[in-house]
This record gives sequence, C-alpha cells and structure tokens, in this order.
Amino acid sequence: MRDRTLKYLLILPAALIVLGTTIWPLAVSLVTSFRDWRLTRSLAPGPFIGTEHYVIAFTDDPDFANAAMVTALFVLIDVTITVVSALGLALLLRRAGVLQSLTRAVLILPFAVSPALVGISFRFMFNAEMGVFTWLAGVLVPPLQNFVWLADEWAALLVLVFSDAWRWIPYMTLVVLGGLAALPKEPEEAARIDGATELQVLRDVTIPALLPVLAVVAILKTVFALKMFDQVVTLTGGGPGAATTTLAYLVYSIAFRWYDMGYASAVAWILTAILVFLAIWYMKLILRKPGQT
Amino acid sequence: MSPARRRKLLWQAVESAILLGALFLILFPILWMALTAFKRPVDLFGLTFLFTPTLDNFRAIFAHPWNIGHTLLNSFIVAAATVAISVPASTLAAYAFSRFELPFKGALFFTILATQFIPAVVVVLPFYLLFRDLGLLDTVYALIVVNLAIVTPFATWMLKGFLDAVPTESEEAALVDGATRLRVILDVVVPMIWPGVVVTAVFCFILTWNEFLFALILTRDDAVTLPVGITRFRTERGDLWELIAAAGILISIPMFLLASVIQRHFVRGMTGGAVK
Repeated sequence: MRDRTLKYLLILPAALIVLGTTIWPLAVSLVTSFRDWRLTRSLAPGPFIGTEHYVIAFTDDPDFANAAMVTALFVLIDVTITVVSALGLALLLRRAGVLQSLTRAVLILPFAVSPALVGISFRFMFNAEMGVFTWLAGVLVPPLQNFVWLADEWAALLVLVFSDAWRWIPYMTLVVLGGLAALPKEPEEAARIDGATELQVLRDVTIPALLPVLAVVAILKTVFALKMFDQVVTLTGGGPGAATTTLAYLVYSIAFRWYDMGYASAVAWILTAILVFLAIWYMKLILRKPGQT
Repeated sequence: MSPARRRKLLWQAVESAILLGALFLILFPILWMALTAFKRPVDLFGLTFLFTPTLDNFRAIFAHPWNIGHTLLNSFIVAAATVAISVPASTLAAYAFSRFELPFKGALFFTILATQFIPAVVVVLPFYLLFRDLGLLDTVYALIVVNLAIVTPFATWMLKGFLDAVPTESEEAALVDGATRLRVILDVVVPMIWPGVVVTAVFCFILTWNEFLFALILTRDDAVTLPVGITRFRTERGDLWELIAAAGILISIPMFLLASVIQRHFVRGMTGGAVK
C-alpha cells in the first residue's frame, strides 16, 4: 500500500477513539446545554431554550457564584503553594547527599496513589476523634486541640488543598528537577566567579532560566486544580455547607442529585471553556520550538 | 570557627531540617495508612505505633459482603483492556504524526492534545445517558470505552516523543530492501521503541487503575473498581477506617512498584516532553 493512503489509515483508529470518546460527548453536552432536560420530568430531552442556562448561571444562581468563588480560591492557593514548594524543594535536592537522594527516591510515591484514596485517607487523618493530623496540630498549636477541621469552612478548604498539594508537589518537584538538570552550568559558575552571592545567582541567573519550566508547572497545575474532583467527593463531600463545592463537583451534583442534565451541561461547558483557553496557552508555550508541528 | 564557616554549617542544618520535614510529609500519610491496615478497630483511637498487628482486615475485605477480590478483578480487566486497545492505536497514530506530512497536522495534533484538558465530568454526562439507553450501565465495557478518552491522547503524545528521538536510517534501509511500511513498523520501529511502549503502557495502566469519576457515575455493583470500592466502607454504622486502609494498601502497592520502575519517564509523559 502507498504511504499516501497508509498514513491516514494509521491515524484512523486513534482518531476514531478520540472522536467517539471525547469530541462526540463534548458536542452532545454543548447541544444539551441549550435544552431543558430534567430527568425527574422526562427521560427524553425537552425543548431548546436558547442561552437561558448560561444566563441563569451568571446572573441568578448563588450556587454557581459560590462554586466559581470556591474554585478560584482553591486554584489560587493550590497553584501558588505547589509552584513555590516544588521550586524550593527542587533547588534543595540538586545537591548530592544521603538525605537528598532518599527524598528524590520517594518523590514519585504520592502521585501513584489514587486521588480518591488520598481524599479518604486525609479524611481519616483529619477525623475529629482519631485523626493523627488533628492530634498533631493540637500538640504543635495547643489552641487547635479540639478543632474539628472538616466542620470549619476555611479549614476544610485548606485540608482539601493540603491533600491535593501532597499528591502534586513531589511530582512537580521532579519536573522542576528535570528542568534544572537541563540548564547549562556555565552562567551560574560565571556569576559566582564574578563574586555574586548564592542568593543573587539564584535570583538573577537560575530562576530566570527556569521560567519556561515554571510556567509549564503553573499552567498544568492550574488545569488539574480546575478539574480536581475525586478528593472533593471522598474528603469533604463539598462541605461543610458548600464551602468546598468546586465547579466540577457542582456539575456532578446538578446532574446526579437533581438530575438536571441541561443545566449541568451548561455549567460543565463553562468549565470546559476556561480549560480550553488554558490548553491553547499551554500548547503555544511548549510547541513554540521551531520545526515542530 | 570563622563566621563564614559557621554560617555555612547553619545553612546546612536548615536545609537538612527542611528535607527531613519534606520526607516526613511525603511518607507519613502512606506509613500511617499502612499501619492502620494492620490495626484492630480498638487500636484506631490510640494513635499509637505500638499495637498487636492483625491480618483480620485483609481477611474481612476479601470475605462477604465486601468481596474486594471481585472489585480487584474489575480494576484489572478495565485497566488491561484499556491499555490493550489504546496503546496499539496510539503507536500507529504517533508513527504517522512523527514520520509523515499530513494536511491540518498541527490542528489535528492540537485537538488530540487539547482533549487532555477537558474535564471528565463534561464527557461523562452524554455517556451516562447513552449507556443507560443501551443497558450498559454498571458494566466493565462502559468503563473501558470512557477510559479510552483519557488514555489515548496521552499515549499518542508520549509515543510520538519516543518516535521522534529514534533515527530513521534502519527503517529507510528496510524500505529500500522492499519491505512494506506496515512490516517495517512492526519489525523495525516497534522493537526500537519497545522501552517507550512499555513505559507508555504502564503509565496508562496507572491512570486507568486510579480513575474514580467515571467509575463513580457509571457503575453501581457489578463493575465497581477499586477507587470506588474503598468508598463502600463508609457505611451507616460509620466509617470502617481499618478496612479502608487495608483496601488502600491493596490498590497502592502495585502502583508504587510500577511508578518506581518508570519514574524518569513518568515526568516526561505528563508534560509531553516539554521538560526533558
């Protein structure tokens, strides 16, 4: 067979999979988002109602406004902590040493744990009666002795961030370490010979050279923080109240508790639009190298 | 001792303290859950490292009514089948993207990559309705189909990275000798990138094994996988933490082994070769 035909046949299976498992459901969701479709009333899709769901979401739904706020807060705290910690830890791990190689060896472990399990484990460890972290916090900060972490709005959000950061910081540290290893040694050494202090070398040479990697880390983490769902279910259940109900969890609630498929699809698409925007940004960043694609 | 030397020692002490703290934070939750798996319920409240270990929890989760063996089998079937379908398909597509000029190649590749950014919850709604109509809710088939959505773009991107790094001379030599392109892919190219194929397969296996959202929405009893299975131990009688921990160990140990083996490539796969 000629290459001219073959190259299309080679792509065909993967293209069909992506078309069937991603593009098709995306299109269906988009169409559904313009319909009134509540499974509690009818199993068949209802009439088209235009952009009503989107209008409601942005003007007349306190749940949506709350979830958008919770998501923004979660993403902001989570991404900041992850990027700063991953950079700091990677810089410390650059050197040789027993403690360093030991830490490097365990960095991959949290990422291999199922996020659902991470959530439920943190729920256990922040349990009011027998949570080991609850106890530890009480020992370190005595006023926190009988504090019920998951019943407090802010504390619950912070525990959620902690559980997600636990999974991601070590992983992103590996990414930053990879970036550091790829940097040329000469500029740092030249700066040292010129009499720069370690802090100056870090601020003026190392970190600027590392910015592309840090940007990748920040965007990837933003994407995964926006999508984060598993731990909300298994750690906080969106509560207390709706203090940890993120947009992804709100979509789930609307669809599978209230069975409003139309509105759930609209909220899902608002989230998708944000993510696609980030995807384009990310792609531009990493595909900028000449000669690719 | 000179002030400069003293400052250096002090800084080293601070560094070691930070690293010890990091080690503690990374390992402690894993260690604590592992210990909990061997505790009797009465020992849970003690917050102690000293207790008489028991294997009762592992016996309990494999017995009625939990039957975690069945859940384990579901997880394995879904992950293995997803990998078996997506990795070959992705290898072929990655080869085409790596070696041939294609119309709209940039746009096509972008579409494949961008699907990774789509929230799973938007994909699962139409599938839920479709599988309900087809009577396929709570089957492993439904889970395999939706997991392909996550795994295939990843695999294509990873494999293209491996293919781009392989020199093309031996392929061209085989083509000149009269071999067909398909034979060359199977007999020359795949053996050369075999480590990459294995890493990709392991990577996809881990992703599918840990997947939670699809399984939560699309399964109820028969096709439940491990991440959803552990939520079953939260009963009306309260949360059975010792059983959750035992099941958690069961889910995690194979993934720890796999992840450690492919650690170096793991990072590259996730960032699509952006960070080498």
